[in-house]
Amino acid sequence: MNSTRKRRLFNICIVILFSMSGAGLILYSLNSNLDYFFTPTELKNKTISVDKRIKVGGMVLKGSVERISSKVSFTITDYKNSVNVEYEGIVPDLFKEESGVVVLGYLKNQMVFAEEVLAKHDENYMPPSLKIVNDN
Amino acid sequence: MIIEISHFLSVLAAGLFFLVGYFALFTSSLNTAYLSNLISRTYSHGFLFLICSFIIYVWLAITDNFSVQYIANHSNTALPTFYKISSIWSAHEGSMFLWIVFLSLWGFIFNVTVKNEEILKAKSIGIISFVIVGFLLFLLATSNPFATILPIAPLNGADINPVLQDPALAIHPPTLYLGYVGFVIPFACAISFLLEGKTSIKWEVLARKWSIAAWVFLTVGITLGSWWAYYELGWGGYWFWDPVENVALMPWLAATAFVHSLSVSIKSSQLRVWTILLSILVFSLSLFGAFIVRSGIIDSVHSFANDPERGLYLLAFIGIIIFISISLFVLRISSIQSKLTIKKFSKQSFISLNNIIFGALIFSVMLGVTYPLIYEYLFDQKISIGAPFYNAIFIPIVILASFFLFFSVDSKWSRNSSFSFLKKPIFLSLILSITSTLFVMIFFSTKNIPILLSVFAGLLIIYRYIYEIINYFLYKKFINPFSVIAHMSLGLLIVSISFNSLLSSERAINIYINEYEEYKDLKILFQDLGVEEKSNYDSIKAKFLVEDIKGNKFNLNPEKRKYFTRGQITTETAIHVTPLRDIYMTIGDQLDDGSWIVNIQINYLIRWIWISALLMGLAGIMLIFSKKLRA
Repeated sequence: MNSTRKRRLFNICIVILFSMSGAGLILYSLNSNLDYFFTPTELKNKTISVDKRIKVGGMVLKGSVERISSKVSFTITDYKNSVNVEYEGIVPDLFKEESGVVVLGYLKNQMVFAEEVLAKHDENYMPPSLKIVNDN
Repeated sequence: MIIEISHFLSVLAAGLFFLVGYFALFTSSLNTAYLSNLISRTYSHGFLFLICSFIIYVWLAITDNFSVQYIANHSNTALPTFYKISSIWSAHEGSMFLWIVFLSLWGFIFNVTVKNEEILKAKSIGIISFVIVGFLLFLLATSNPFATILPIAPLNGADINPVLQDPALAIHPPTLYLGYVGFVIPFACAISFLLEGKTSIKWEVLARKWSIAAWVFLTVGITLGSWWAYYELGWGGYWFWDPVENVALMPWLAATAFVHSLSVSIKSSQLRVWTILLSILVFSLSLFGAFIVRSGIIDSVHSFANDPERGLYLLAFIGIIIFISISLFVLRISSIQSKLTIKKFSKQSFISLNNIIFGALIFSVMLGVTYPLIYEYLFDQKISIGAPFYNAIFIPIVILASFFLFFSVDSKWSRNSSFSFLKKPIFLSLILSITSTLFVMIFFSTKNIPILLSVFAGLLIIYRYIYEIINYFLYKKFINPFSVIAHMSLGLLIVSISFNSLLSSERAINIYINEYEEYKDLKILFQDLGVEEKSNYDSIKAKFLVEDIKGNKFNLNPEKRKYFTRGQITTETAIHVTPLRDIYMTIGDQLDDGSWIVNIQINYLIRWIWISALLMGLAGIMLIFSKKLRA
C-alpha cells in the first residue's frame, strides 16, 4: 500500500467513525426524548415512571369537565377505561365534551398532569391517532 | 360549460408538456436550432393553456360557481373577493393546482429569460415538463379540482375555515409553494448536466440566480407561516416542531447548504459532485414535504383531510424521480470529480464544514419526522417526538456552526490561512462577546448554560461582522454585503431566540369584570365584556386596560368568535407590540362563578426572530439583483 492510499483509507475511517458516532448521538437523544402515546386502556396495564412525559388520547367524557379557578379537570375515555386529567391554562377552542382530545403530560397516582392539551383542528379533520380511538 | 373549458385546457397543457419532454430528452439531434426553438415555443404554449385554465378557475371561484364541488366545499357567497380567491389554496385539490401552476411558471420564466447554453436549457425545460406532467396526472386522476356537483348546484358554499381567513395565510402558502417548486430549476439543470456528461458545461452558473430566488421564497414563506401561527392560533410561540413545519425546514436547510456549495463549485470547480447531490436532495425534500402533508401519513394540525391513494401515487412519483436522478448521478460521478484538494482553512474548507453541519441537521429532522412511523411499524407503539429532541440536537450544532462561521470570516478562497486568537478582529470580538454574555448572566441572574452559550455564539458572529463593516468604512477593506447581511441576521436570529426562551413567560389567570390582576410588571384591569353579532359570526370581546411598570397604558381586546356556517369557535388574540417585547393575550372560558380565564404571555424579542429571517431573505434578494449575478 502506498502512502496516498494509506492516507485515503485513514480519511475514510475517520469519516465513518465520525458519522457513526454522530448518528449514535442523534439516535440516543431521539430515544431519550420521545413521548409514548397511550389510550386509557393501554395505560391501565402499564407502570410509567413519574418523570416520563407521555401522550394520552381519547374522548372527553360527557359531564366530566370541571373548572376550578384557572385549572380544568376532565376525564379521557376510550369507552372501556378512562383516566383523569388536570390542566392549568386555557383549553383549545375545539375542546368539547364527547370530542377527541390528546394531552401531553406526566402520570402521577393514576392522574395525568397535562402540560399541553390538543383538540382536533377542524370538524372535518381527525388525526389518525384519534380516529383509532373513535373507531373502537 | 366554462368548467369543462378550464378542465380541458389543463388536460391539453399536460399533453403539450409531455411532447416538450419527449422532444427535449428523447430526440438525438437536439443541437439543431429548429428543435430547441420548437421546444421553447411548445413549452410556452403549454404554460399559456395551464395559466388560462387557472385564471378561469379563479373566475369560477370569484363568481361563486358552486357547481364546482371544490369551490362549493371551500368558499361562500359572504366572503370578500380576496378570500374567495385564497379559498382556492385552502385545501388539497386547489392548492395542488396552484403548486403545478407555479411549477410551470418557474419553467416559463426560465424558458423566456435564459439565452445561453442552448442544449442545457432545452434539456432542463424537458425535465421540468416531465415533472409537470407527473403532477398534472396526479391532480387530474386522484384529486380533480374540476369535479362538479350535478345536476343541481348548492345555493351556497360551505365556507373557508375561519382561521384561514387571514391576509398572512392568503399569501403564506403561495410564497412557500414558489419556494418549494422553484428548486425544480437547479434540479433540472443538474440532471441535464449529468445527461450531457460534459464537464465543461457550467450548469451551476446558470442555476445560481434561480436557486437563490427559490431560497428567498422559501425563507419568506416559512417566516410568514410562523408569524401567522403566532397571532392566529392563540398558542403564542413561533415554532412548534410540528411535522409539517419540519418538512418545510428540511428543504430550507438543504437549500441553504446547496447555495453555499454552489458558490464553491462556481468559484473553483470543487465540490461539484456534492453540489449536484444537494440539488437533487433539495428538490426531493420539497416533494417529500408535499407527500407528508397530502398523504395523511402523519397527524399534524396542518394536514389536509385525505386518502391513501394520493399518498401512494406521490410516493411512487417521488421514488421514480429519486431513482432516475441517483442512477444518473452514480453513472457520471467519476468524470466530474475535481482533482484539486481543498486547502486547510480556506473558504472552501469552511463551506464544506457548513455542508456537513447542515447534513447532520437535515438527517436529525428527517429522523424526527419518520421515526414515529418506523417505531409504530416495528413495535406497535405510538410515539411522538417533540421539541426536547430538536432542542437537544439543534442547540449544540448551531453553536458549533456559529464558531466555524466566526473563524471563516478570516479565510480566503483557495488559500491556506493561519489562525491566531491574538489577531485583532478575533480577539476583540471574543472579548466583547464574553463580556456581554457575562453581563447577561449577571443581569438576568441565569445559569442556563445552553442559552448563555447561544447568546455568546450569536454575539460572536454579530461583533465579528461589525468589525468588518467598520473596516470597510474606515479603510475601504472589501466586504461581501450579501454575506455580511445574511450572516449577521443569523447572529441576530440566534440571539433573539435565546433571549426569547430565557425571558418569555405565560400564565393563565382568572379574573372578574372590573377587577385588577397583576402579572410580572403588568397591572391588568378587566374593564368590560361585549357581545356582538357580526355578518358571519358572533363575537365576545373583552376590554382590558393594561399598565406596565413605566406607566404606559394600553388596551388589549382579546376576542372569541363563533362562526355561523361551520359552528367553529376561533380565538382572536390581542397583542401589544413594543420593540423589545409583545404582551399577548387570549381569552378562554367563563367559569361558573362568573370569572373569566385569560391567558397572558410576555414574549421577548419575538419580532426580531421574524425580522432576522426576513433580513436573510433580503440579502438573497439583493444578491439576485446585484452586478455579481448579472452574467
